[in-house]
Amino acid sequence: MEEKHNQPKHSPIRRREFFKLCGSVVAGGSILAVAGGLAPKLGGKEEDLFWQIDPTVCTQCGRCETHCVLPVSAVKCIHAHRVCGYCDLCGGYYRTNVKELNTAAENLMCPTGAIQRKFVEDPYFEYMIDEELCNGCGKCVKGCSSFGNGSLYLQIKQDLCLNCNECKISTVCPSGAITRVPYATAYKLKE
Amino acid sequence: MNKDIYRNIAAVTAVFIITLSVMLITNYFQVRGITPLQTEVIETLKELNDTNADNPVLQEQIRQLDLLARRAYFIQEDHLKSGVYILLGMVLIFVLSLRFYFKGEMHIPDKEIDPIDEWMLKSKSRRYLTWGTLGLVAVALLFVFLSSPLLKSSENKEETEETLIADSGEAVPVEETATTEAMAEPQPAATETNGNTPTEVTETSVTTETPAIAEVPQPAVSKVTSNAFRGNQSNGISSAKGIPTQWDLAGGSNILWKKPIPRAGHNSPVINGNRVFFTGGDKEARELFCYDLTSGEQLWSMQATNIPGSPATPPAVTEDTGLASSSVATDGKHVCAIFATGDLLCADMEGKRVWAKNLGVPDNHYGFVSSLLIYGNTLYVQYDNNKDPQLFALDVATGNTRWVKKRTGKICWSSPIIAYVNQKPQLVLMGNPQMTAYDPTSGEQLWQVDCMGGEVCSCPASADGVIYGANEYAKLVAINGTDGQVLWESTEYLPEVSSPVATKKHLYLATSYGVLASYDAKSGALVKEHELNEEFYSSPMIVEGKLYLFSNNGKLFIFSTDDAFTLINSFETGERTLATPAFTDGKIVVRTEESIYCVAAK
Amino acid sequence: MRKLKTIAALVGCWGIAQAQNRFPKPDFESGYQYPDLQYAVPNETLWVILDLLLLVALMGIVTWALYKRHTRGPIFWVSLISVGYFGFFREGCVCSIGSIQNIALALVDDSYHLPLTVLLFFLLPILFAFLFGRVFCAGVCPFGALQELVNVKNYRISEAITAALKVIPWLYLIFAVLYAVTRSQFIICQFDPFIGIFRLGGDMGLILFGALLLVMSIFTGRPFCRFLCPYGALLSLFSSVSIWKIKLTRKSCINCELCHNSCPVDAIRPPYANKLKESRSAGVRRLLAYFVVLPVMIIAGALLMRMASPNLSRAHKDVRLYDQVIQHEAQPEEELSLELEAFYGQGRSVEEITALYEAKVTEYRFWCTIAGALMGLVIGLALIRLSVKRSRKQYEINHANCVACGQCFNYCPQNKQMNESHKPSES
Repeated sequence: MEEKHNQPKHSPIRRREFFKLCGSVVAGGSILAVAGGLAPKLGGKEEDLFWQIDPTVCTQCGRCETHCVLPVSAVKCIHAHRVCGYCDLCGGYYRTNVKELNTAAENLMCPTGAIQRKFVEDPYFEYMIDEELCNGCGKCVKGCSSFGNGSLYLQIKQDLCLNCNECKISTVCPSGAITRVPYATAYKLKE
Repeated sequence: MNKDIYRNIAAVTAVFIITLSVMLITNYFQVRGITPLQTEVIETLKELNDTNADNPVLQEQIRQLDLLARRAYFIQEDHLKSGVYILLGMVLIFVLSLRFYFKGEMHIPDKEIDPIDEWMLKSKSRRYLTWGTLGLVAVALLFVFLSSPLLKSSENKEETEETLIADSGEAVPVEETATTEAMAEPQPAATETNGNTPTEVTETSVTTETPAIAEVPQPAVSKVTSNAFRGNQSNGISSAKGIPTQWDLAGGSNILWKKPIPRAGHNSPVINGNRVFFTGGDKEARELFCYDLTSGEQLWSMQATNIPGSPATPPAVTEDTGLASSSVATDGKHVCAIFATGDLLCADMEGKRVWAKNLGVPDNHYGFVSSLLIYGNTLYVQYDNNKDPQLFALDVATGNTRWVKKRTGKICWSSPIIAYVNQKPQLVLMGNPQMTAYDPTSGEQLWQVDCMGGEVCSCPASADGVIYGANEYAKLVAINGTDGQVLWESTEYLPEVSSPVATKKHLYLATSYGVLASYDAKSGALVKEHELNEEFYSSPMIVEGKLYLFSNNGKLFIFSTDDAFTLINSFETGERTLATPAFTDGKIVVRTEESIYCVAAK
Repeated sequence: MRKLKTIAALVGCWGIAQAQNRFPKPDFESGYQYPDLQYAVPNETLWVILDLLLLVALMGIVTWALYKRHTRGPIFWVSLISVGYFGFFREGCVCSIGSIQNIALALVDDSYHLPLTVLLFFLLPILFAFLFGRVFCAGVCPFGALQELVNVKNYRISEAITAALKVIPWLYLIFAVLYAVTRSQFIICQFDPFIGIFRLGGDMGLILFGALLLVMSIFTGRPFCRFLCPYGALLSLFSSVSIWKIKLTRKSCINCELCHNSCPVDAIRPPYANKLKESRSAGVRRLLAYFVVLPVMIIAGALLMRMASPNLSRAHKDVRLYDQVIQHEAQPEEELSLELEAFYGQGRSVEEITALYEAKVTEYRFWCTIAGALMGLVIGLALIRLSVKRSRKQYEINHANCVACGQCFNYCPQNKQMNESHKPSES
């Protein structure tokens, strides 16, 4: 400032340089301030990095199928075998008003045929999800949680998820079921 | 020469890129609305298949279409992927050839479009910026102005007026529940001090409604509904008009139709539009019936089968309770029924099942009897059994649980009602020993009074913001609905099965041993009692200022509900009647132990 | 006994009904084993380290090419690597531009946990900009690199327009931060034009927007960087006061105008002699007038945004939900939306959402006021900047705008001589 006062007239260049210097100091200072201010927030608990659905909150609205940025959603149906009742009349496998328990198209719930059913022993049947075919529509999940044990549920597959900065599905999720989880619990599983 | 080649390549790829992207974009817009996996055709066919009996042709059609749809879906997915890759490659070639084409020209300086004078540029730029900012501010101001609360409130007013007019024309069932209260008042009672705007609104809507009904060239279907046990809100009051006061069941005078009951049950009929709903149940099956109100023909029936969790054999119930004592409830689009097996099912008006579920087999030594109630689009189930008493609020359309409330106390056989307190609905439940009011939307408990005992079976009643509850071996209580304060109590006459009914001035109740008593609503003093030497299980209903009450032996009593409380008429119908009749304009539907019949003045 | 059994069964049934276990776990007699399913766990740490290493390495290469070699060659290869790796392989989601929002949120919200990668991706390019200028923009940022790579011809846009359009990135930045600190949306991520191209799929509207920008960038330099990128706006601040500055040539300028023509972002200003008729005092008066108007603009902006805050708050989920709930409470017979279904299904109360709504609206009112003030400041400063006269004798780089792409180096005849003479005389 003094410098400026002493020679105000004939040194616009020097004045400009002085401003630049001030700017540099402010800029450098702000970088340090941001870094210093945010450094304490880094430590402590583990970083929440990965998007996951909380199956207890999920309402199977069907938006996971349509709102993922991927052409075929990263949300897939996952089956918790230890929760499953292995029913013959499965609310996730068959439509609600099913007449015959066979694999005819009019009886099945899954639009892509991604649920495979295998006879285990009387009267139990095992259900498996073919992930390649599953599109995450959640129809079977809805069926299972309304009529069965809720062993079928939707989850974000980490090998498919792009881990967007803000999950597109989470912005439209009506129940707010999608949150970030740390690496240690990369999957929120039932069982 | 080389340049020509590059130019040609660029031109060809450009054409290719444009066609491919146009194709991709149109394809996108074509399939955006229809996902091949959920085409309406297949869905409707599947629904058709659900309602029809086995139809191999239809099934084959579904299978074919389904296969096509799946193939279309996966092929489309595949094509999209390869299409995008081709497009990307083409763009790469295009950019490269363009680069090579312009390679030599890059050094030739572009024509200077700006004047050399920088100051002029800056002045111009300033002007642009100022105008741009002003435009932005103007848009923002417009935006703020358009959505200002002032404008919004006037808009809202217009809207509510419109809906009111629309309602008076169509009388949407739920909206009507708000008006029935006002309409059902027997006398135009002195205007209360709290005559705030909502009351005025309801009153005006009522007044507009009456001429609307008169003007319409006599619709075949009455607008007055009886959507649940004891009327729309289960409080024993109906706004129906032109109700016959005399009929002869054996002789057939004033009897529109009479049909035998297809399956036993003590539940009361429910009327919506031209449809009558009731259920029946025995060891073989539990069934929901829909009859035509004018002809008495059975329109459809639906058995409670194929419900996951439903017990293979129905639970043990006593003979005089049965498996189908709970009345159904409807909202004009859906009808819901529950049975003593815990099976809850919902059908649409055409008899197609919408959803069904089992709420868990009730642990109930007489049998589950609580009736259903729908308010708005929520179905309420009072599930007060020996184990884990609960109150369910379910979405009528989907059966999904809105909320569940844990209940305290002992088993009870009562049913919920909707009571209006200061124009706001309350869901009131009896219990043992408590009476509780909940917010119908959130399920939040509004008040609770411990006052009941014995085997609580009758339902609450309400009028003018006061809730009444009564049960044998306990007492009759009047509770202020705003704060849950007990206004008065009485133990003189108490009902056992029959439920009380209230007007602004009086409370009426019928005991099992044959007394019909009237109390003063304000003081609780006994006004008048009638010794009728009959047994009453059916509940009294108030219609057109008259109280209708069936005795178990089928004798009908009609009383005036004024201060005199006199017997207007009484006659034997000849059939044992335990259910409560349902009223609509000019008609009564009565269910007896053997038959269901409709009374209409000819 | 039988009764006891049924009661026990019922108790069991109800007990697990809470956990939705309607059917008991089967007792398998055939020795059936539950299948052991493993779900792929992300191998994120490896990629994160590679991302960071590559970020630093690529920025280092650009710096080296700019300051030591004085040539564009390596920058071109850096662009290719960046588009390939950060763009198509990592699918554009390791992104400094988007990190602004995470940083803003972390600064105001203590509960938000900021990953280290995000902080570094935010800070490192800024640090480099502070030291060497916008080397990140040159070719390390996949967005800039992609636009640079497809650029073929450089048609100019009138500088009067571009100078006015420079305000847009700042407004975008303010809105992005506003929506980030209120936890509403990450609008930079949602309206990212190139992400759909890198992922070969996504929202059609955004892909079309991205394609449009790419077609534009064939014929004019970097439209996204110049007129939209909020991170570029931030970097330009640091770049204009950077410690080392990029020089057109190490020799004396011969005022040949070639570099000016070559610059894709109009960052090279021609010599300018201040020979206007206007008197100096008139200029000073205008400048002073703008300085007086500046606080007025700030206050006006703050007030305007404060008024608009109830509308803007609808970007938040809770506010929209509240509106729906209120509407539904008024007309309960209407069909429930998915949001309302979830709301009532979770047993949430109107009071709860009202409290959330009111808190959010208050929060919005505060932040909108600040955002409005900043907007007024930005526009006011832009006007001031546009009314300052400065004379130049030579072609000079405007370091705020310069994206350090190095295009001009190849065009400068002085550099050419230097490169051809194998630079022995340099050191």
